[in-house]
Amino acid sequence: MKLTRTKPFKTLAEPIVKNNPVFIQSLGICSALAVTVQLNTAIVMGLALTFVLAFSNLSISLLRHVLPRNIRMIVELSVIASLVILADEVLRAYFYTISKQLSVFVGLIITNCIVMGRAETFALGNPPHLAFLDGLGNGAGYGGVLVTVAFIRELLGSGSLLGYQLVPDLFYAAGYQDMGFMLLAPSAFIIIGLLVWLQKTVVKG
Amino acid sequence: MSDNLKSIVFVLVTALVCSLLLTGFSTGLMVPKQRNIQTDRQKNILAAVGLLTREQTADWQAIEQLYAEHIRCGRVDRNGQVMPDTAASEGLLPVCFQVRDGQVAAYILPVETKGLWGTIKGYLAIENDGATVTGFTVYSHQETPGLGGEIEKAWFQNNFKGKRIVDPDGAPAPLSIARGRADKSVPPERLPNVVDGISGASLTGRFLSTGFNRLLNDYDPLSRRFRRGDRPLPPKPDNPEKT
Repeated sequence: MKLTRTKPFKTLAEPIVKNNPVFIQSLGICSALAVTVQLNTAIVMGLALTFVLAFSNLSISLLRHVLPRNIRMIVELSVIASLVILADEVLRAYFYTISKQLSVFVGLIITNCIVMGRAETFALGNPPHLAFLDGLGNGAGYGGVLVTVAFIRELLGSGSLLGYQLVPDLFYAAGYQDMGFMLLAPSAFIIIGLLVWLQKTVVKG
Repeated sequence: MSDNLKSIVFVLVTALVCSLLLTGFSTGLMVPKQRNIQTDRQKNILAAVGLLTREQTADWQAIEQLYAEHIRCGRVDRNGQVMPDTAASEGLLPVCFQVRDGQVAAYILPVETKGLWGTIKGYLAIENDGATVTGFTVYSHQETPGLGGEIEKAWFQNNFKGKRIVDPDGAPAPLSIARGRADKSVPPERLPNVVDGISGASLTGRFLSTGFNRLLNDYDPLSRRFRRGDRPLPPKPDNPEKT
């Protein structure tokens, strides 16, 4: 069997484009608006969510046979919350500036519907290795959208990428202006809308 | 019943495992976390006196060195008497000094005031004439992003440079934040004391003004000494300062 036909591969690859959690399920939009003004915050946010998602899926899948049904959501939430705090602590210790910029949004990964959604719909019914891959795939799908949006917003809004100025001073001298609108949240809405359109066209065709 | 018991035990075990994990991590990362907070504080003090621009990124050793070279902290009592930061001076007002060639170039007051949604913390630096603001920085706040949150931005903080905390006769005058641009709403003779505000965030501005008023009042004995040409400086600490 070809690698691309195997279930693990599909589990990992499908949520990246074809069944992207942001595009198809419209989940995680809130943070996609908030942390995409700059590329570096978007990358860190994508990584933090991927970490939380992969390990929450893994732990919940491991627990799925012993988990009492009536309290499963409480347990899922404790696992997710612990992982989020863990990610936040690591950011505070080693990426302080970025952690300050992300401020409350790392903590709000707890309320990101992608995490609970994957735990409920996937991790509870699938073995750990698949659940882990599903977490990675969905995290990458979400992170990919964030990075794409942030790429456009930082380039057009600040003329830079990752803080390095890309638009030469010559352009500014000639009258080029950064697009101030790209720094505001509504611009992310419009970009995400355009990306959804693009994704639908590409996947169908 | 046994089902319920199982659920309870399961929750207890989950809680125990999660809390042990988190406690472990939180304790294990205590050193770098605290160093970050300290570096951030030092960075803000340095930025308030203009020794470091907000955009500059330096590693913590460089900041620590710059801080040790230029900044000396102590406490000040109600009469403007400056003393080193020891157990004896506990409870007195904290203050830091920018030292240049053994002389005070500016003194730095810690700002801690109520904001709209939470405490605003930062530093206000005043030149050694006891009257002119050198700079203002904010390192922690909960104001609305995009509105009051703009207080952390350079454009707003730069408005403070050169503002006066005295009126033309040299008497203390409140430093306040205008609603929007100061020259539109304030009589020209008050302009040196009024900072351009953030449009849409007049409440944050009002809270800050109140905070500055109280702060400058508290430290007025010290400012008075500076205005008289007296430049008090706490003695150099014997051992490298722990902050």
